Amino acid sequence: MRKEYGALVVGAGISGIRAALDLAVSGHKVALVDRRPHHGGLLAQLDHQFPSDNCGMCKMLPLMARDSSSQYCLRKGLYHDNIDIWLNTELTGLEGDPGQFQASLTRRSTLVDPARCISCGECAAVCPVQVPNEFNAGLSERGAVYLPVPHAIPNHYVVDLEHCTRCWKCFEACPTGAIDFKLDQRDGFRVLAVTPDSTEAQELLSLLDKAGFPAVFALDQEKALDLLADGDPAGLLLVDMSMGEGVVERIINRAAELRPELPVVLLAGAGESDAAARFVDPEESPAGGGPRGAREWIAKPLEEAVFIPWLDKLHVRLASDEHLVFDVGAVILAGGFDCHDPGPVDDVLGYGRYPGVVTALEFERMLSSSGPTGGRLVRADGKPVRRIAWIQCVGSRDLQKGAGWCSSICCMFSVKEALLAKKALGDEVEATIFFMDMRTFGKDFQRYRERAENEEGVRFVRARPHSVITDWQGGLNVGWFGDDGRQHEDGFDMVVLAVGARPPKGVDKLARAAGVELNEHGFVATRPLAPARTSRHGVFAAGAFAAPRDIAESVIMAGAAAQGAARMIKIHDVLAGMQREEEPEYPDVSREEPRVLVAVCSSCPTLEQRLDLDRLFDRLERLHSVVSVARVGSACTAEGWGEVERLAREEKPNRILIGACMPYAYVPRLKELGRTVGLNPALMDVVDIYTPTFPGEEGPDAAGRREREVYAALATAVARLEGADPVPPPVTVNVARAALVVGGGVAGMTAAVAVADHGYEVCLVEKEEELGGMCMRLYSTLEGGDPRKHMEDLITQVEKHPNITVFKDSRVVLSQGTAGRFRTAMYTPRGALRFEHGVTILASGGRESKVYDYGFKVHKSVMTQLRLEEALATGTLDVSELQRVVMIQCWRSRDEERNYCSRVCCSQALKNILALKARNPGLEIVVFYRDMMAYGFKEAFYTQARRAGALFVRYEPERKPKVGFDGGKPVVTGLDPVLGREVQVRADLLVLSSGVEPAETDELVEIFGVETNRDGFFQEAESKWRPVDFLKQGIYLCGLAHSPMDMAEAIASAQAAAQRALRILNAETIARETVVAQVRHSLCSLCQRCVTACPYGARQVDLEHGRIVVDEILCQGCGSCAAVCPNSATVLTGYHDGPVMALIDAALEEPRHVETPKEREQ
Amino acid sequence: MNGNRNDPAAELREYMAACMQCGTCSASCPNAEFMDVSPRRLWRLAQLDRMDDVLASRTFWMCSSCYSCMLRCPRGLPTTRAMQALKRLAAQQGAAGARRGQAFCRAFTENVERYGRVQEGALMNTYLRRRANPALALSYVPLGWKLLRRGKLHLLPGSGHKGRLAPLVNKVREMEARS
Repeated sequence: MRKEYGALVVGAGISGIRAALDLAVSGHKVALVDRRPHHGGLLAQLDHQFPSDNCGMCKMLPLMARDSSSQYCLRKGLYHDNIDIWLNTELTGLEGDPGQFQASLTRRSTLVDPARCISCGECAAVCPVQVPNEFNAGLSERGAVYLPVPHAIPNHYVVDLEHCTRCWKCFEACPTGAIDFKLDQRDGFRVLAVTPDSTEAQELLSLLDKAGFPAVFALDQEKALDLLADGDPAGLLLVDMSMGEGVVERIINRAAELRPELPVVLLAGAGESDAAARFVDPEESPAGGGPRGAREWIAKPLEEAVFIPWLDKLHVRLASDEHLVFDVGAVILAGGFDCHDPGPVDDVLGYGRYPGVVTALEFERMLSSSGPTGGRLVRADGKPVRRIAWIQCVGSRDLQKGAGWCSSICCMFSVKEALLAKKALGDEVEATIFFMDMRTFGKDFQRYRERAENEEGVRFVRARPHSVITDWQGGLNVGWFGDDGRQHEDGFDMVVLAVGARPPKGVDKLARAAGVELNEHGFVATRPLAPARTSRHGVFAAGAFAAPRDIAESVIMAGAAAQGAARMIKIHDVLAGMQREEEPEYPDVSREEPRVLVAVCSSCPTLEQRLDLDRLFDRLERLHSVVSVARVGSACTAEGWGEVERLAREEKPNRILIGACMPYAYVPRLKELGRTVGLNPALMDVVDIYTPTFPGEEGPDAAGRREREVYAALATAVARLEGADPVPPPVTVNVARAALVVGGGVAGMTAAVAVADHGYEVCLVEKEEELGGMCMRLYSTLEGGDPRKHMEDLITQVEKHPNITVFKDSRVVLSQGTAGRFRTAMYTPRGALRFEHGVTILASGGRESKVYDYGFKVHKSVMTQLRLEEALATGTLDVSELQRVVMIQCWRSRDEERNYCSRVCCSQALKNILALKARNPGLEIVVFYRDMMAYGFKEAFYTQARRAGALFVRYEPERKPKVGFDGGKPVVTGLDPVLGREVQVRADLLVLSSGVEPAETDELVEIFGVETNRDGFFQEAESKWRPVDFLKQGIYLCGLAHSPMDMAEAIASAQAAAQRALRILNAETIARETVVAQVRHSLCSLCQRCVTACPYGARQVDLEHGRIVVDEILCQGCGSCAAVCPNSATVLTGYHDGPVMALIDAALEEPRHVETPKEREQ
Repeated sequence: MNGNRNDPAAELREYMAACMQCGTCSASCPNAEFMDVSPRRLWRLAQLDRMDDVLASRTFWMCSSCYSCMLRCPRGLPTTRAMQALKRLAAQQGAAGARRGQAFCRAFTENVERYGRVQEGALMNTYLRRRANPALALSYVPLGWKLLRRGKLHLLPGSGHKGRLAPLVNKVREMEARS
């Protein structure tokens, strides 16, 4: 199959979804593929995210043109007009150049036809196989035919062929014939075997005969090739390796010419397996790139018990799997990560050996209500859990386990899990977290940790437990070494291993297929100052595939990757996405009496077997608005749908209700139906009537309950349709297709260029006289980037860009309007200016904090890290003269005044240490620190700095190091917790890590009506799912104004913000959504509760007219206002009190006994 | 031991530079309670270049080379080897406490060299004689009695393995002389 897309996104986890949505909402067609049978990646398994401790993934759903996308839980399903999701699909090759890639993919069939599967579960009930269920991290079991995630919509069973025992019971049990093992095609699957040995041929023949496949034999290559040349319809070529490598190679090559799609399998005897393996995977051969062409190889002698199942499965695969070719403009790799496996069983932590030792993922599955224990926290042996320990850095920061990196996420998820445990089990649960450094480097992480420690009573112990030992009662003893110089031991009921991130399994294969390089840690290599770019032009990396990252950062990186891909698509003018269709005008039926047509799909036998349809129809017909109830066959097929259309034309209803399975599948069809019969799709609905009829509880009431449920589903839908509001003519805003960027630092400039490259006008306002901001003070980065050159190039690019106008020494004074059309006044050296723009990006940046103590600004020997970097780069500091340098981290940050981690200082210190050590290896460096925030791959540089001889001395905030001066030279005294003694260091230089502060934002907050957090950084709409959006639509944030971040992260956030902004700019008009709130002014008492309740800032008081005004573009139809309104003055379209009450009545209606026509006859 | 021969302290520092003071070694050590300075503190002292304090401690003499620490060190540092290096260094430099610390090691080596296996009676005899401390000898009496009763202590040397390990020990001596 060949298809065209703007972009291909590999991996449908959180980053893949974010990147795909970002591209889809700005009008590009996207193929989203995942090798797993479900979307959502790891997050499909996780119910709780901090800081809110719930999920919230739905906040990523499009805010505009909401009808084009699914609007329910994103973990359950994703549907968007512009996104095609291909599951069980893997990228196998990528040819061509950016803008015109040809991606080859293999789609492994699930062997269940999703159009037919009604998810009744009959197949799983008969499956004899029991294997660990991946979804529950192996804590429960599943069959070989199973639901990959229990909550997905649509949710179809899939067959796991690897574990299938070929009993075909599910095939027989399926009531709809959805499972297809291609058993009817076996006769046509002819095996052509080439073997020189006639006895072997005889044996093979009898095996094939038993398996039931026709076969033809050739004793030599000529015969075989002649057969193929004559058009033999063989479906498989078996080649015996005993003919010699040369002959085998000839056969394979010639067969590839004659029948390119014919699969070849090699039969390898003893000693021939290496050669056979080289034919299968040329990379296996020592020289690389050997002969290729075989699908796989099997060992001789062939055993019946192995060969027949293998051949059966091979046949099913060959007959069912698909090869896909996509023409795409750009590729985004979002392969995610795997969790470290803390096995083997004899490991010191006792995972897999002691009940009660679990991984963090298993722990979260236990807490989930869809998990193996239904949300109860119990040990595998049933013992209650009261004392829980978390052990950090399991498989991270551990060179012995091959992980020289920090996994970045475990500290925070452990704190979250500790709080969840407290919530689940109550306060009597004791939670202890064992850690080495608590890496709370993200926005608001430090406060979250402190809340856990001080308010919730989570115990934090700084130690690395060496092992877990069980006692005779099954308790778990954890031993560690304390700061007091003693060994300690404590007993727990459960030990949670905070397992780290690993590159996903098969990353090397994917990297090879996509033609990108991996870094030394095995993750995808990206460029130091272009964090979304891989080694191959046009191929981008998103999320944790390039480095361990949490959700917020993955979402930002996905935005950056989407921006890169969008730029590729724009440059190469790849297939413009969907053609925006004219919204058809529908007749206004609001004045007509509701006439509902009910069509019930009765194609699947389960319905009629378990339900009295006649009685149901009879009852439905009695509803006053129902004009006709009809039975249609297979609404899911074109004929069935044609039937619905015919009925609609005949009956001329003004509401249509369809009872079928899987309502979500009908959304696009309803639109089409509306167009053909001239009825607004908002007046149509599809409800699920099949689920209540699935096998489940039996009993005397079961039938009655089933009937009640189906009737209630249909009756509520009728009530809803009756009360549906007429849709008023759409309100649209003509978009001013230009952007205002405030701040000319690296983030502002990157965002400006990203928007301007799409052909939109950009106005960049910088308050200083020069562009560049903080990054101008950087001379190198830890990862080896060249910030100077990057900034020089960027400034030139910005200043010369035809679409960018730069105003230096200028400021914004006023801004009005809403998303799509803002009017802003600026004060510039050229005088006051006005600018109309559709979006605003705030990148006002930050600065190095200045705290005047420790002799800073008094003694020349005291400087900040940035100043040291400058002195090192410009050569004003003679390093060879120095004997000893002291650095103090967290100088006045992570303390009450500025209680957040500045994130960049630890890497800045490491960078300076390595620079100092490179010039003067004998130089002594002592670093006083609290927690080294060497997250991700920065950990490797921390190791490098220690190897180079730098000494790291930890201090507690209660006992900060003291600084005195002796002859102008600093003398630093601090307590070394390891020695338990004071150490005094006389240094030539004292370097302070002073941290990052946001720039003054008071004015911007007022002008743009945005908010800041308590530390003065801008407050994003949602810290995880919408990290670069403000709540107010059309305004975005990036760079240091968001939170402390390094240069590469600032660049990524700017690209992500630009991509979000492009969504508005790419549209000529923005239409109001169908569900918005309105105010009935006659009832409104102007109490203004709704104004504060509105999370989107869509409400204002119009003092002149004395009324509440709703900005219908900003309104997202959440209904918060309607809920708080004491007078019911605020209403939500389609959710007026009356219809909602009617709907509830219909749902709860006790059915009266109605005589069926049959009964009447009797 | 290879590396910087001129400055044994530098060699030790090089071994332990990448240590991040997690304490796994000290927590794992079965003999930690007999050590005056914990292994973690020992590495710290070495990093701080306080070799006098390092050599004065009896920590490394208490190391029984069980390799638990080395196996568990997340940084993969050669902790046990560093302990052994310290023993050699202390012996070479004749550091305070070295004589005492060495006494058992030497007695043990001589014992197995001679008898080909441990001959408990002769071993304790040599060791206690060298330490020349009657109080120490007396303190072993209860343990000795217990072992004797259980047949774990052989007072008279057996002859089956005599001299078997001598070539091995000679080889070590040869190697030590060469380097």
